[in-house]
Amino acid sequence: MKKNTFYLIFGCIALALLFIFWYSVELHTPLLIEIAFIIGIALVYLAKRKVTDSIDDERDVKITEQATIRTMQVFWVVFCAFSIGAVMQILHIPTFPREPPGSRPPALLGPRMIGYIQLGLLCVMIFLYVGFRIYYAKKYGDFDTDEE
Amino acid sequence: MKNKIKIFRAMHDLTQEHLAQAIGVNRQTILAIEKEKYIPSLDLAFKISRYFGVNIEEVFVFDEKTPTIKDI
Repeated sequence: MKKNTFYLIFGCIALALLFIFWYSVELHTPLLIEIAFIIGIALVYLAKRKVTDSIDDERDVKITEQATIRTMQVFWVVFCAFSIGAVMQILHIPTFPREPPGSRPPALLGPRMIGYIQLGLLCVMIFLYVGFRIYYAKKYGDFDTDEE
Repeated sequence: MKNKIKIFRAMHDLTQEHLAQAIGVNRQTILAIEKEKYIPSLDLAFKISRYFGVNIEEVFVFDEKTPTIKDI
């Protein structure tokens, strides 16, 4: 499979996922988009393995590796910190001494808002990755020009 | 790590594109190695030097001072 064909397939899958997401919202069935998302990503990985005209360049691999490592190093701390806080808020633990039932203070963020923020954080992760990728691409001479 | 890829390319009248295609990397990688922005793996360094038909040390120069067994 040619690289351009892969990009075409990727675009089609993304479009299909967008449609399924909309359909899932209409039907109020989150499981539909969840399963579709997993299948979509699996299809992308399968299609990528079939690409024959791409050069397996070690510098590209290194840039991707470095960007991924740095992104994860930053992201997991922020994501975990927020998630731990969110879980504590949902479960309302630990509180010492235990408060009597009914005296629970109003939650700062509801479960829905927590979900939105986590989704937002995942989107931020993409931007973070792109930023790190640009940084490492520049570091390893991706934007250099030559007389040739 | 310094290298003489540009000199060897000039000697063999090769473009970066030709060398890159021959050893299976992108042209930008050859440019990055020439400009010393990227240190190639041992595998790639061997591929480059073998392509020019010379030893690896003729193309790549490791100029850092490291202790040898004689120093110990």
